[in-house]
Parts: sequence; structure tokens; C-alpha cells
Amino acid sequence: MSDKNILLMAHLMRRAGFGASKDDLIEISKRSYEAQVDLILDSEPKYEVSKHLMHRYQPDYGSPMGNSSNGASWLYKMIWSDSPFKEKISLFWHGIFATGYAKLANGIVLHDQIKMFSKLGLGNYRNLLIELSKDPAMIIWLDNCESRKGAINENYGRELLELFSMGTGNYTEKDIKEAARAFTGWTIANKEYMTEKSQRDSVWPYGRLAMHFEYKEEDHDNDEKIFLGEKGNFNGEDIIDIICKQKATSRFIARHMYSFFVEDEPPVPEWPYKEPNNPEAIDALSEVYFNSGYNIKEMLRFLFKSDFFKTEKVWNKRVKSPIELVAGTLRLTKEFYRPEKFQSATNSQTSFMGQHAMNPPSVEGWHWGTEWLDSGTVVERVNFSSSKLGNINNSGIRKIIDNVRAKTNEIYSPEILIDLLLEELGEIIVSQNTKETLIDFAESRLKDKELLTDENLSELLKLVGAMPEYQRA
Amino acid sequence: MTTNFDLKSVKTMGLAAMQGRGFYYPFDLALDSKERIYVLGRGHDYDTRGVRITVMDMNEEYYGTFASYGQDDGQFMWPSSIVISDSDKIYVSDEYSHKISIMTLEGEFISSFGQLGNKDGEFDGPNGLIFDNKNQLYVVDHRNGRIQVFDESGNFIRKFSSQGNNEGQLNLPWGITYTSDDRLYVSDWGNHRIQEFSTDGEFIRSFGSKGEEERNILHPSSCAVDDLGNIYVCDWGNHKLKVFDKEGNFLCSNRGEGSLSKWAQDFLDTNVQEKEARLKADLVFELESFKDDPFTESSHIEKLFWCPTSISFHNDNLLIVDSSRHRIQVFNTVQKL
Amino acid sequence: MLDTNQKSLVVIQLSGGNDAMNTIVPYTNGIYHDSRSAIHLTESEVIDINGSLGFHPEMGEIKKLWDSNNVAVINGIGYPVPNRSHFRSMDIWHTAESESIAPDGWLGRTIREIDPSHNNVVTAVNFGRGLPRALVCKDVPVASVGDLETYGLMPDIKGKDQRENALNYFSRMYGPNQGRDAILDALSENGVSAMIGADILSGANSKYSSSVEYADNPISNNLKDIAKVIFADIGTKIYYAQHGSFDTHAGELFNHAKLWKELSDAVGDFYRDLKEHGRENDVTVLLFSEFGRRIEDNGSGTDHGSGGVAFVLGGSVEGGFYGEQPSLEISEQVEGDMKYNNDFRSTYATLLDQWLGIDSVPILGKNFEQFSFIKKG
Repeated sequence: MSDKNILLMAHLMRRAGFGASKDDLIEISKRSYEAQVDLILDSEPKYEVSKHLMHRYQPDYGSPMGNSSNGASWLYKMIWSDSPFKEKISLFWHGIFATGYAKLANGIVLHDQIKMFSKLGLGNYRNLLIELSKDPAMIIWLDNCESRKGAINENYGRELLELFSMGTGNYTEKDIKEAARAFTGWTIANKEYMTEKSQRDSVWPYGRLAMHFEYKEEDHDNDEKIFLGEKGNFNGEDIIDIICKQKATSRFIARHMYSFFVEDEPPVPEWPYKEPNNPEAIDALSEVYFNSGYNIKEMLRFLFKSDFFKTEKVWNKRVKSPIELVAGTLRLTKEFYRPEKFQSATNSQTSFMGQHAMNPPSVEGWHWGTEWLDSGTVVERVNFSSSKLGNINNSGIRKIIDNVRAKTNEIYSPEILIDLLLEELGEIIVSQNTKETLIDFAESRLKDKELLTDENLSELLKLVGAMPEYQRA
Repeated sequence: MTTNFDLKSVKTMGLAAMQGRGFYYPFDLALDSKERIYVLGRGHDYDTRGVRITVMDMNEEYYGTFASYGQDDGQFMWPSSIVISDSDKIYVSDEYSHKISIMTLEGEFISSFGQLGNKDGEFDGPNGLIFDNKNQLYVVDHRNGRIQVFDESGNFIRKFSSQGNNEGQLNLPWGITYTSDDRLYVSDWGNHRIQEFSTDGEFIRSFGSKGEEERNILHPSSCAVDDLGNIYVCDWGNHKLKVFDKEGNFLCSNRGEGSLSKWAQDFLDTNVQEKEARLKADLVFELESFKDDPFTESSHIEKLFWCPTSISFHNDNLLIVDSSRHRIQVFNTVQKL
Repeated sequence: MLDTNQKSLVVIQLSGGNDAMNTIVPYTNGIYHDSRSAIHLTESEVIDINGSLGFHPEMGEIKKLWDSNNVAVINGIGYPVPNRSHFRSMDIWHTAESESIAPDGWLGRTIREIDPSHNNVVTAVNFGRGLPRALVCKDVPVASVGDLETYGLMPDIKGKDQRENALNYFSRMYGPNQGRDAILDALSENGVSAMIGADILSGANSKYSSSVEYADNPISNNLKDIAKVIFADIGTKIYYAQHGSFDTHAGELFNHAKLWKELSDAVGDFYRDLKEHGRENDVTVLLFSEFGRRIEDNGSGTDHGSGGVAFVLGGSVEGGFYGEQPSLEISEQVEGDMKYNNDFRSTYATLLDQWLGIDSVPILGKNFEQFSFIKKG
């Protein structure tokens, strides 16, 4: 039975990354927990394979014409990073600032948005919101390019308040209108050409074009506005300043963080009616938000070091999103040590499981927790996990099997085998029922050490991959 | 020393197209004895219709397409280079299936050779292809870090070089070309240099240093040599065409000057709303994010090179395959007096 | 509780934007030939229908069904403010919502109406991986079957005994004796549901027997699988499959012909199979695409347009033309495209109310004028 420190590290790596194998955890546990949190938050990741190599074999992955390469190249980053926390943060923000390919019909501009999340996602929340308001994908997605003085389009103003900062119930319809007025003129360069191409899904003549922000003074509503009780000739940045000062904002973001990193909260539309799982945690995070000057990284540092995160009660509580499931599994199997053709097919898996990267069903993003699970997606998730873990030709699984064989050299029993396997796969904790079932299987097929053949181990791993606990993190 | 050398953009050919008249991520091209151009499409992994050979000529006449994605005879998975022999047979290297396929100009499969491995006649990612004046075929076997030589039927003759970064060694090389003075130039992609060899594989010289300055190159994909020995390099990593003289001195560079091809014009003429919107757009501008990041710059500014993968001379024309923009840019060289 | 009404709907999505004008061809119209010098179909090539319109040359099998009065052709189908982006336009057809973004699909909502307590996990079966938005609705289970023969949990465990063994262990891990939290509940419920569904469907596969020989291509395989499930009478009401890509920007003549040959032949085989088993009146097929294509060609193909064509076929269909053939006159064109004259939701409403016996108004949001292509009685 592994010690509490390693189990805690395993939990941290699942939440701040996409999991870690036992070998990784042994290395990591040489540091203290606090030091590991700081390292994850403060260091820049290194990628095992250069993006040049990726572009050379898979040209679309760098300059995505369509949508599939976006998800596929993002998966590469998740797999090749020595510390994929940056990728996890981008995924976190992508779920909140959900922008979809369906309307953009342009992979480059979404790719650029994710890049922006990766760059600014751990910084100051105010800056992030400002960059978001200037993001071309977001501007088209929520029609702000159609909004101008005298013909205000409220879409961005509304969603900014409802979904990106304060949450329903903390502002009025008038505030929405005033916010929308402030963002008039925040559009994209060559708007007519770009929106024409989006609506027609045009790759002509020479592929898709990236887009950039343009501020059109002549479209901006320059008159006085009253927003959340404050008066002034506000422009977009001013609205964001006021938004960031609000307690509601700090709590809304805190609750999202809690849901993504600690345990699933109810869906966002229910937040006005349902209390947070842990109100004290939200209070505490909210305080850090203000004390640190809206700093996301400091909020997360506080979160990861808090008892409410470290407690065993939340270990393995969340349902892995499809992207987390796939990325975590691929990190275990280590099958992509260089760009490979079948990464495209792998990426399709996340969409069969209900999460098409960079193409959420609406600006609400994806619904998490139990809503990831239906009879169709469970089949896809179980089959994927089972098949990947059971493929012993992949070097990651091969290493795990080698470790297990080495560690059972002296003493062996089916129970020890199961314990070791679950440790090697990243210290996965399972229920009594699952453990008994796995041990029974091991009793029937791998009763003695001599039966630790590749074939038998592969069958066992297929069952382990299929277990319900593997779907959680 | 002032250079009296310059490059002039002549025109652009091609159009992005999933199937039919156009290309999707073209990687290389070759000309037959009747000056028809065979453009090899790499396509992309999710939708494989882009894997095909598109036939056209310098007047942008379209003659059809053939070949498709797959592992059967006459199909490709990751097609990389194309060359046409004097006897008008097409050779295509496939760096996923590790084989060279031979077909007629009509696309009829003749034979193929090669499989994954590192023995003689085996490949790990065959790339660049070129014939010398004795009809010997040179194949860049890039993950094996070597060049292998075959006869026209695919029989192994000899090989040279090895994986590494010393003089004469190669690291993930890509394109290869052959000059009238019986020399081979290999684009040593992973070592950021061009290396010259004799046809026997004797190392002659290497030039190029890694970097983003004008006189550097970064991951070169292909090069061509003119009669004066000037070397024209597809500086793939910097998204530029760079020219060096035969001593290796930098002469000039070009960031790309794509314009509307005939096929592009056809498209716009049929899609009037898009044409009108495009005319109102300002397609050239500068952004902060362009500094030190030519990849991003090329994603915004349509006329620039974006991952140029192949360069070759045909008569007076320089043909550059501008892969991520699905087109061919044609240049002439100009000697100023 | 099995629905004693054996009627079912098969929806086949033609992905990519089927070129309506080269499907139902106005071959006597000079504007057609003038606008499409590169890709027009001539009088001698098309299969004449009524002296001015003809089917695409490869639609022979569908023509046979037309001759038995079992094909409804709905010309000029579309929606206001046409969108020419694949994803967005397809979403509109899937969600039956053209003005805002809806999270669930018209068929998902339909299944919820048919089986509100989810008694039958195979009420709808999707043939293809990944659930199309049309079938999405909260809590509504839909199986997505790639290949009926191999569909199930952990399909790479081969061998009858080994599979049975593995599935036993699976059901133990997902069984009811868990220490409860909401997520485990959801995993259990859905895991067990999936097992039951897979079990029922594999029964359908093994019971099948027929003299019809389908071609070996994806749409034929899908329709054959659909036939298997129909004959097994497991209560499935909605089937979904896709064919494509119809996105013929270039090389249209060749590609469009291949796509229609495959589809038309597959539909022909499917109907022969239904007839052999006496089920041809129980099944209605809808063929639709997210938009039509432009009137003018671009030299090699056509680009995205609007105003398409849909087909409803079956033994209970009253054949004929519904909707109007859009005019090609410049004054009637919408930015170079054909103008729609009937909303696709009218077709949906007809199928819901008159075929499936489900009230269409709550599903589609409002009342849409209906067609009369379903036989009465």
C-alpha cells in the first residue's frame, strides 16, 4: 500500500495535469508537495517533440484548414509536454469562453485563441478578459463585429456578464445593454471579407486566413453609460475594470475553478439556485482573487495547497472530460514519441465521446460531470480505455508490465498483482467491488507468477481499462 | 559587395481544392518531357482526398488528377516527393509506407519497391528523389540519415552518408537535387545546412548556419542550383526563398509574392460576393505578433510563403511549391547590370 | 414496453451539400446548360421523369421506386437566411432551429416523446461513430453503431467464451452493488444500458437472413445493418446514417455520380430486402442535405449554395413532386443560388405527425404547414 504522500501527489498530477505513472510519481515525490505545486505553476513547459517536426509530417496541424487538426495538435502538446498544466489551463478557459468551429469555419483563428489562453490564462484576469474581448474568434462567435453605435448587438455584452464573469442574477438587462454599448467598435479587420468567408466556409483561394482585432472609432458609441451603478463614458476596458471589482466575479471564477480542479459543481444555469459544494472554499478563493489583484495563478496556488483540495474526500471524484481521458491515457501508453498518422483518428475519439475540441455545442460550453455519460459515450470511453491499456506493444504499457514483473519476483499473489498494477497506472484507487472483481479475474487467469504472460496481462489490462474508476480523476 | 542579383515574381498557379482542379498541401512537383506539371498533394490526415497528383501546365491548363490515399498499388499514405525519369515514368516516395512507387504519366501503376527497415533497399521515411545523367535514382532515406542509389527499376546500387551532424552526415534530410556538373545537393533539414556530394557520395562541402537572420537558414526543405552555381534554398523554417552564390555568400531573399492564379480568379468570378468583399479588404498589414514569428505572419498575410517545400528550375522559371498555401509561386532571376 | 406500431423512420444525411440541380435536373432549361458548361448533364444522360426534369443518371434504382409511386421529391427545400457553412447549416437541420443555437436535436426530442421513461434503450440507433446533434437530447440513450457485427463493449476481446467472460466481469464492476455517488450511479446505469443495448443489437445481427446481396460500401453496409435491426423487431423507431462527401467543389461529375450510384443502389437493395420480409410499408426513408449548391459552376464543380432537394421514400409514401422547382431566372436567384420555397421543418412536421404519430409542435417549436406525401389509412 503506497504512502499518503505519493497518493496525494497522484491526485495533484491528475488535477493539475493529465495524470502520472508510478515511475513519474517516484521522481516527483522527491520534492515536497508545496514545492511540486510551485514548480507546476511557475515553470515553463518543455515539449519533447518540436513543432517543426510536427509540421513537417502533418502540415495541417500547424495551419489548420479545418477543425480536426486543432484538437489533434492540442493532444500532441498535452502528451509531449513535461508539465501539461498550461494545456490544462487552456482547456479550463476553453470550457468557459467556449467558442465553436461551427460558426467560425476557420481553424487558425481558434488555434490562436487557445494559444492566447495558454499565454495569458495564468495571469491577471482583467487582462485575460480584455484580450478575450479583442479575440477575433470570440468577436465573430458572439457577433460583436455586427455591433455598432445605433445598431447595438447585445450578444457579447450578455455572455460576458452571464457566462464569462459575474453569472446570472448579479446585473440587470440595462447593464447588458450598457456593456454592449461600450464594446461597439470592437471588431475585426477586414470584417466583411472574413465573415463572408466564415459564412461560406470558404478555403479559397489559398487556404484560411488568420484574423486580427481592429478598433473602429467611428462605430463606437461614445456617450455616457451607467454600468453596475457607475457612470462614465465607458469603453470596453472600463466595463471590464468594473466587472473585475465585483464580488460576484470573484465568486463565479472561484466556483469554476473549484468545479474544474476540485469536484464537479452543478451545471452553471443552476448556480443561482444551488449553493456551492464548499462555500468556505469559494469564499477563500474569492479573497485571494482580490488580495492578489485578480491573479489566476495565485488563486490556483492557494487552491492546490488548501485542505479542501488535498482531502481524500475529493480524490477521484470528478468525471474525466473526454479530452482528459484521451490525453491521460496517451501519456500512459507513450505511443506518440513522434508525429504519427493515427493521431487524427485518436482526436476523433474525443468527439465520439462527446467533446469535439474547439467545437462546443454552444457558448455554454460542455456540461460536465454526469452529463458526459450516456449509453453511447460510455461505450466509446470504455472501449477506448480498455483497448489502449490492453495494448502491451506501446512502450508505456510495456514498462508498466516490466515493473510489475520485477516487483513480483519475490512474492506473488493475484491480490498483490492487482495492487501493483493499479499503483503503476498512477495510484488509481478503486472500490472494494471493483477490486474484488479484478482479483477474481486474476485468480482465474493469473493464479501463479508463471502465468504472467503478455497475453494474460493484456487481458487483465483490458478489464482494468474498462473499470468505472478509470473514467474518473 | 553589392549584389547585382534579384528575384522577380512572375505569377502564381494553383488553388486550394479537396479534389479535382487544385491541390491540398502540395509537397512537390515534376515535369514530363512535354512540359506538363505533375503536382503531388500531401493532403491532410483527417480528410484524405487531398492525396493525389494533379496534372497541369505552365499556362494553368488542367488535365485531371489520379492516384489516391491508401496502401494498395498506386496509392499513397504520406506522399513526399515526385520525380519523372527521362523515359517519362513517375516516381513517388511515400514516407509512411516506406516505398517508392512507379507509374505511367496516366497514373497506371507499374511497380513499387522498398519497405520499412535499414538494410540495403529498405527505407525509414523515403523523401527526396532525383535522377542523375546516368538514370540512377537517388533517394533521401531520411530517418536512416542516408542517400540510397537505385537503377530505374528499383534495384539497389549503392548508398552513402550516415545519421549525424558531422561533415557529410545527415540529420532528417529532405530534398535532393542534381546539377549539370554532376553534383548532388542535399537539404539537410535537421542540421540546417545544404551539403554537396559527388555522385559517389564523397562529401564536397557544406554551407548554411542555423538561424533567423538573412544569411541563416532554418530547416531547409529543398534547393535548386543554376548554371552559375548560385544556390536557391527553400528556407522552410523561415518561410523564405534565399539565394546564395557558389561560395555560400548570401545574395538575396524573398518572403513570397503570391498573387491570384487563373483558377483563383475563376473561383472569385463565380463567387461574386466573396470577390467584392475581398476587394474591399486590406490583405497586407503588420502586427506585433509577427516579430520573430514568420509562421504567424504567413498565417495572416496571404501572399507570403508558408512552408515552402520544393524548389526547382524549369527553363528560366523557378517553381516553388508553397505547401501551406496550396499553390506554386513562379519566379525569374534577374541579373542587374 | 414495445410500441406495437411498427412504423420507423430512416434518416440518411447526405453530408457536404448535395448538388440539387444535378440530382433533379432541369435538363430542358437553357439557363441550366449555360451556367454549367463544365458539369451539366445532357438530355440523353439523365433519366427523364416528366419531360422537363430528370434524375441523375446513376439514380436508376430510385427511379424504379418513383415508378411505383413511392418517392416524394421535395424541391426548393431550405430555410430563411440560408447559411452556407457546413457545420452551421447542418446544425440548423439537426436542431430544427435556424435563428439561435439549440443544444438538442429534433430526433432526440422525438425519442423523448416516444419513450419518456427510457424503457427501450434501442428506440433510436445511429449507424456511425459519434452522435449527430439531431439525435442529442438530455437523458435520451442512443446507440452509435459503427458495424453491427462487431458492436459492443470491449470489441477487441474476441472469441465467444472470452467475451462472455469479460462482459460478466464488466457487469460486476458496473452492477448495482456500488457504494453510491451520483457519478457511479450514472456510470452504472449507462454501462448496464450499453450492455443491454449491445446484447439486443447483436441478437438482431445473428437472426438476419436474406437473399438480397448488398454492395460492399459504407452506406450499403449501414442500410443492411438497419434492415437487420428492423427485422429483429426490437422496437427501434428511428435509424440514422450518413453518406458523403457531397462537397463537390471540384471534380463534381465523377464524384457526384459515384455517390449517387452507391446511395441509389443501396436504397434499392434496402427496399428489396424490406419487400422480401413484408416490411416495405413500415419504413419511410428521408434523404436530406444541409444545402444545395450554386447555379453556376466554377470550372470543375460547384460551391456552396442554398435551396436544395430532399427525398422521402417508402411503401407508405405518396409519390410525386412537393415543393416547387426553384426558378433559375436571375431575378429569382438569391446571390447566385436557388431560392427556397418550403421550410425543411414542414417535411419534419409531416413525418412526425403523419408518419410517426407524434405531435410536431412541441418538437419543432411551432406549427409548420405540412405536405401530403404520407398515404392516408
